Amino acid sequence: MLTYVIRRLLYSIVVLVAASFIIFTFVSVSADPLSFLKMQPTASEITIQNITKRKHLDEPIPVRYLYWVKDALTNKFGTTTIGDRPILPDLTRVMGHTLQLVVAAELLAVIIAVAIGVFSALRQYSAFDYAATTFSFVGLATPVFWLGLMLQVLFVNIYLWFDVRIFYTANLSGVDPGTGLHFLLDRIQHLALPIMTLMVASIASYSRYMRSSMLEVINSDYVRTARAKGLPERRVTMRHAFRNALIPLVTIVALNFGSLLGGAVVTETVFALDGMGLYFVNQLNAGDPYPVMAWLMVTATMVIVFNLIADIAYGYLDPRVRYD
Amino acid sequence: MRKRWLLLLTGTLALVGSLIVGPAATAKSEAPAAGTVIIGHDQEPTTLNFYISEGNLYATSLAMSPVLVGGMIYNDKAKLIPVLFDGEPKILKAEPLTVTFRYKANAKWSDGRQITGNDFLATYRTIMNPNWDITSREGWEDIASVKVKGKTVTVTWKKGKAYAAWDALVATSPMPAHKVAGQNFNDLWRDSIDIASGPFKFLSRQKGTQLVLARNDAYTAGPKAKLDRIVFRYIPSTPSIFQALQSGEIQVTEPQPQLQIVDIRKNPRFKVQSGPGYFWEHMDIQFGPKGHPALKQKYIRQALIQGINRAQVREALYVRPGLVGSVKELPVLQSHIFKPFEQYYQPNWGIWKFSQRNVIATLKKGGCTGGPDVPTANNDKIWTCPGVGKLSFRFTTTSGNQLRALTFEIAQKQLRSVGIELVPRFGPAGTVFGQVLPSGDWDIFMFTWVGGPTSSATSFGLYGCGGDQNYMNYCNKKASDLLKKAQFTPDPNERAKLLNQAEKIMAQDVMSIPMYVRPGFLINATSVKGPILNPTQQGSTWNAETWTVSA
Repeated sequence: MLTYVIRRLLYSIVVLVAASFIIFTFVSVSADPLSFLKMQPTASEITIQNITKRKHLDEPIPVRYLYWVKDALTNKFGTTTIGDRPILPDLTRVMGHTLQLVVAAELLAVIIAVAIGVFSALRQYSAFDYAATTFSFVGLATPVFWLGLMLQVLFVNIYLWFDVRIFYTANLSGVDPGTGLHFLLDRIQHLALPIMTLMVASIASYSRYMRSSMLEVINSDYVRTARAKGLPERRVTMRHAFRNALIPLVTIVALNFGSLLGGAVVTETVFALDGMGLYFVNQLNAGDPYPVMAWLMVTATMVIVFNLIADIAYGYLDPRVRYD
Repeated sequence: MRKRWLLLLTGTLALVGSLIVGPAATAKSEAPAAGTVIIGHDQEPTTLNFYISEGNLYATSLAMSPVLVGGMIYNDKAKLIPVLFDGEPKILKAEPLTVTFRYKANAKWSDGRQITGNDFLATYRTIMNPNWDITSREGWEDIASVKVKGKTVTVTWKKGKAYAAWDALVATSPMPAHKVAGQNFNDLWRDSIDIASGPFKFLSRQKGTQLVLARNDAYTAGPKAKLDRIVFRYIPSTPSIFQALQSGEIQVTEPQPQLQIVDIRKNPRFKVQSGPGYFWEHMDIQFGPKGHPALKQKYIRQALIQGINRAQVREALYVRPGLVGSVKELPVLQSHIFKPFEQYYQPNWGIWKFSQRNVIATLKKGGCTGGPDVPTANNDKIWTCPGVGKLSFRFTTTSGNQLRALTFEIAQKQLRSVGIELVPRFGPAGTVFGQVLPSGDWDIFMFTWVGGPTSSATSFGLYGCGGDQNYMNYCNKKASDLLKKAQFTPDPNERAKLLNQAEKIMAQDVMSIPMYVRPGFLINATSVKGPILNPTQQGSTWNAETWTVSA
């Protein structure tokens, strides 16, 4: 297992380096971080030249890439092109916000999806099963931005009709969020709609996985044997069927979680959440390769790590799977 | 068994529900904190230092102009009015240009120190320091001397370099000399600022979410603010800004033109102000070697401008959807240099009326063949002109902008019906402005210039031979000389005369096609009294000290 992990990590480093060079090249070629300044009729040439020299913008791209690598390794991802602002504090801040959103959304989604999937499987072709299937298809087909906006419209109208605010439509916290429990409730009120938006697609797909996995397991020989031994149905379902049916879902959730940590771009933009996704969009629009690269490195590392966790977890949960 | 699953499912839903609905049970109708106005904006300042390039955003100016006020500010009529100055600055000598002004006796910083001429001197020295990433040194670099005596300042420009916009220059917000001395100015006031000269001061900032200003009780240069606080909330998605406005999470906003504004206009809970600003949409034409050779022919450019119904474009984008009340609010722009609401505006481009028959006649007269004889909606014949080939032009603009996309579609259809083809070349703003525009590898480029009341004085940079921002590579020596002379003419009447003379020549050349002045919008809840739309970069907070809010 250790050999497997080390080999995977070594491959990952090669992939990271290749991806970083490609992305750096594309971002550098496609946009000029000084463009907004150059568009000013009265922009100072001295300032433009200073920034160009300081950030090596007049050097060839491979040379600029090497400067970036040096900054990334020795200066915590370096600083922004305009303003020389340290990147790591901003990245840490937005990562924390994204974690709050993603962890809450995934946790709730898994709980609900597992329950729906198991019940659907046990009551296959029942009214509940059909309803759950319909919900899954609708959930998977619904665009995230539309769902987010519709939730905003719904709760704005509830506020206008009843003069009671249940949830907020934008930002992470209120003007005066307070401390302690008041802060927590305020944060929940602000994150509720984005969490709901993210949850729908997750519940839709996870419940399908759980349902098909459960169906496969409950018809297997060992479950039939367990029933034949006279075990109570509940014990057969929970001890024998459910645990084994959970294995594929664990790996899927681990993979999904890793990629979500890159930030739910659309959700964060719609709800003005100061997270990884919005950070990436803003920096890409600014054409600044340094923060984009920092975002890429963090996100790619998360994906790689969670991929690895998913594989290891699969091997741990299913004794038939061995890595070497 | 079944019961247990049902119970588990119900329990889970109840848990989720309690976490979600729980806050609602204790939530009640909100009364905004007394004396607080919340402004929603789609962009957050990256630094609070608006002197440097990083702070060169409207969002920064909006937040900081009530904190660091200028000697004069632009009011809603785009007129400079004294704030820290005790009167308008005076010209002592025309050549070399020498002006004098004085700060009010009661103008002081929030820490109690007096605002004096030394602060203006510190501002000049900081701006001229090449180590700092100052956005613009235009006008400052031609100053010969700055003399200070207490609160009085005398500024002299170099001979022959009288800066046309000298009044706006001396009106710049003075920097606190005692705060900037010895500091790395690029890093100063990045996330907070502990000094103020205006009716508000910085209170707190939560990056990515909000910035809070509080009343500056030490402000004595003018009336004290009536509000306790102004809060800026940053919401990048425009539809979300409207939802936040409807739900009362924000009370004031300056949205980009959006159809939602039409619905808000009908809502009695809100007041909507609209009016032209210093943003003008236009189509530049490329004269350089990488542009289409046909565009170097004057008759073809003249055909182009007559083939686009600019009035119809303006009507389709803004009037018919109800974004502006009537065509009177948004006249077709007939000048690149002045705006319709400015005193010196002359409709120099009004000589070109929309006429499809004239287009066909002009092209035929030029020897072009292959095009339609009469304008037809379904025409697919494209003109070929002698020595320059087919009249098929690349049309470049930013992607993801609905209004620009619609403008292109209308112009494309109108020109196609007379045998001129436009081929779209849309791209992200960073790419088209950063790479394409400066490269000159385009034929027609549509974008918005963002200027101000002093933009007209610096038209040489845009339209003069070899001008810094003359990406069209347009060069008419006569017009260029007039523009250059205007740049160093301090008298506004004389300057306007020169600029209009230059523009008459430019209009004949049809080096660019002015479209319209983009309207600005200001929406506020009726509970907030006082906001007035300001067409300049001063922003809607220009009179924030007069605002009040009721519960």
